[in-house]
Parts: sequence; C-alpha cells; structure tokens
Amino acid sequence: MNPQLKGTEKLEGTYVFDLATSARALRLNRFLHGLTVASNRADFKGDLEAAFDKANLSAEERRMVRELDWAALIRYGASFFCLEKLARVRGVSNPEMVAGFRGEALEDFLKTRRVPGAR
Amino acid sequence: MARILGGIGTSHVPTIGGAYDRGKQSDPDWAPLFKGYEPVKAWLAERRPDVLVFFYNDHASTFFFDHYPTFALGVSRTYEIADEGSGPRRIPPLEGHPELARHMADSLVNDEFDISIWQDLPIDHGVHSPLTMFWPPAPDWPGKIVPIEINVLQHPLPTPLRCWKLGQAVRRALLSYPEDLQVVIVGTGGLSHQMNGERAGFNNEIWDRKFLDLIARDPKKLTAMRHADYMRLGGTEGAEEIMWLAMRGALSPRAKKIHQSYYLPMTTAMAVALFEEPASHPAPKSARLRRAKASRRSPRARAAA
Repeated sequence: MNPQLKGTEKLEGTYVFDLATSARALRLNRFLHGLTVASNRADFKGDLEAAFDKANLSAEERRMVRELDWAALIRYGASFFCLEKLARVRGVSNPEMVAGFRGEALEDFLKTRRVPGAR
Repeated sequence: MARILGGIGTSHVPTIGGAYDRGKQSDPDWAPLFKGYEPVKAWLAERRPDVLVFFYNDHASTFFFDHYPTFALGVSRTYEIADEGSGPRRIPPLEGHPELARHMADSLVNDEFDISIWQDLPIDHGVHSPLTMFWPPAPDWPGKIVPIEINVLQHPLPTPLRCWKLGQAVRRALLSYPEDLQVVIVGTGGLSHQMNGERAGFNNEIWDRKFLDLIARDPKKLTAMRHADYMRLGGTEGAEEIMWLAMRGALSPRAKKIHQSYYLPMTTAMAVALFEEPASHPAPKSARLRRAKASRRSPRARAAA
C-alpha cells in the first residue's frame, strides 16, 4: 500500500485513481483519450457502434459510454480527465457530470453552489 | 545568471480560461475572478519577466496512462494548444525557451533529479487556463515559458516534499544559467475540489485559507503532509496543491506574499497568490532604509509602491 494514501479508504464516495484502477480500465480510458483527435470524434459521432468495435469495448463499457452513466464510469475506473473528453464531445458541462457522480439532478446540485450561474 | 523575480500560485480549472475566452469580464458571476487577477497582471506588466517557469499538471491530454511521467520538462521552442475534446482554444501557440530548458535539464540531472524530457507536444489548460488572466495573449504572448509537468492524476504521485525539493533544484538550475534573464515561477492547481464519486463537489474554504497562509508563512509544514491529508482536507483533486509547493520551493525563504484572491463559485476553489522576491543585489543603505519602512506598511501598499 502506498503510505501516502493511507486513510483515503475511509473517505466516502471517493475513488482513488491508482495503478490497479489504471490497469483495469486502460482500454476504456484509451478510447476516451482518443476523443482528443478530431477524426476519432467524427467516427464517434458518425457510427458509435463501429467506434466501439474498433476499440474492442465490452458490452458494459459500451452501455456506460452510450448512456453517459457518469457514476458507473467512475466506479468502473474511468479517469475523470478522460471522461471530460467524452463530456465535451457530447456537449455535457462539468457541473452536469458532477451532479451525475453525486446521483443528483443538475438543478439540485446547482442549489448547493454559491454562484450557480458561473458555468 | 537568471534572476527570480517572484512566484505565482494559481488554480487552473478550465472554466477560468473559458470565462476569458467568452469575454465574461463584466458578468457579475465572473467579475470577482477577473478582479482577483488584476494585481498579478499589473505586476507582470511592470516587471516584464522574460520567462515564466510553470509547475503544472497535464490532464491526460499531452500524456496518457501508457506512460504517465512523474516529472517531465518541456524543451520545445513552440507548444501548440492541446485539443481536449472540443478543438484547441483560439490563442496563439506558447513560445518556449529551449536554451534555458536544456540548461535546466543538464542542471537537474546532474543534481540527481532525473527528470523526463519532452518536446513537440501540445499543452493543455493546466498551463494556459490561468495564463490568459495575467499574460495577455494578443497580439502575441509577452514572453516565453518553460513547462514542468507533475503527475497528480495516477497514484503514486510524487510526495509533497519531493515537489518542494524539485522546486529547490529548479532554483539552482535557474541561478546557474549563464545569461541574464528575468524569471517568474508559476505553480498551478487546486484549491479544494473533487471530481469523482458521490463526494464530488466537495470544498473546504477553511482549509483553503489555511493553505494560502501556510504556503507563504510556513511551507515546510505543508511538505510534511501526505497526499491523504490533502485529499481529506481539500478533496481528491486538492492534491494538486503540491504544485504550489514546487513553486514555493523555487523561491527564497524571504519571498513575500503581496496579493491573494479567493473565489469559489461552483466546484473548484479558484485562488491566486503573488509572491515577490526582495531585490537580489544588496542595495545602497538609503534604499535599504526605504525598504525597511515600506515593509512596515501593508502588503497592498508595498505592492502598489
């Protein structure tokens, strides 16, 4: 165990992105990271299933990406910073993603913020 | 030799650059953010550094987990703006200082800091989201940058103490550069935020304000904390604060914080702090007396003087 992380297991609702997580979700994160390339975005928007096939994603990986199941994607091991690329392609804002992680509707999440218009 | 004029600690959340790009200066939701950067912008315009050395983190834009570098020094002449999923920001490519960066590579490695080296790769918002708030990109950037990436995405991260020591090694590298150059050190990231799990949206203004105090007054205390402490107090992405420690480690113990601003509108606490070094050469007695008097005035008055 990394001594720097001792105690983080007690933080509720927290998913630490470590080497085990990274290895587990490498294929999915590589696919998401690929969305930084314009031609991959065009493939993603043009024929999603073909893009999934090319990346050899599992049925569950495909479902989570297709449905933008943010909470499940994080639990699965997707890096938030790779999910950000997916969010940009699908036109989803970061507050919407955060609301998804929390299992809340966007408007309920925004009620907890100091400046809900700062988006 | 290169002279270090001071340092800047700043958040780098992409919405900072987004607010700039969308011209939100007079939008009441964003005006406090812009106002907080004004003194930093004015200080840089007056001091006109040749180079900004950045300690920042990539966000799986330049690098991917097939090889995620712990510390990596950019040695390019130019850095394109990274495409993070919706096309690159419409700002000019960043200009590097390869001669200084190569010297830093030689110095760091001979100082037993075996840093990775990269070139001809784009840079993401970890550098340029805050940069446009204090370094106007039009018609072109006022100077050059040297970027040093720090892994804060994939644990194990470098320890807070190691980041501090990297800052000290970068200071030695800069002070041994043969040419006269004016340099400002920038550390980006934080403050409190968490971008995963049901705890996402976590903030802690009390801790953020304590951090802003300690980074100026007692940074050694921050080097003794563990990543778990940063994550508990400031959320998982609060661990980005270790990049401020690298910046602070590159400054002298006599550097003074002359400005800070804090704004927490949404999910990430947006902070900026400006540190100034005392004049590096012994000044005549009359100037020393003036400074001694000035130091009894408020930090704001000194910044304005």
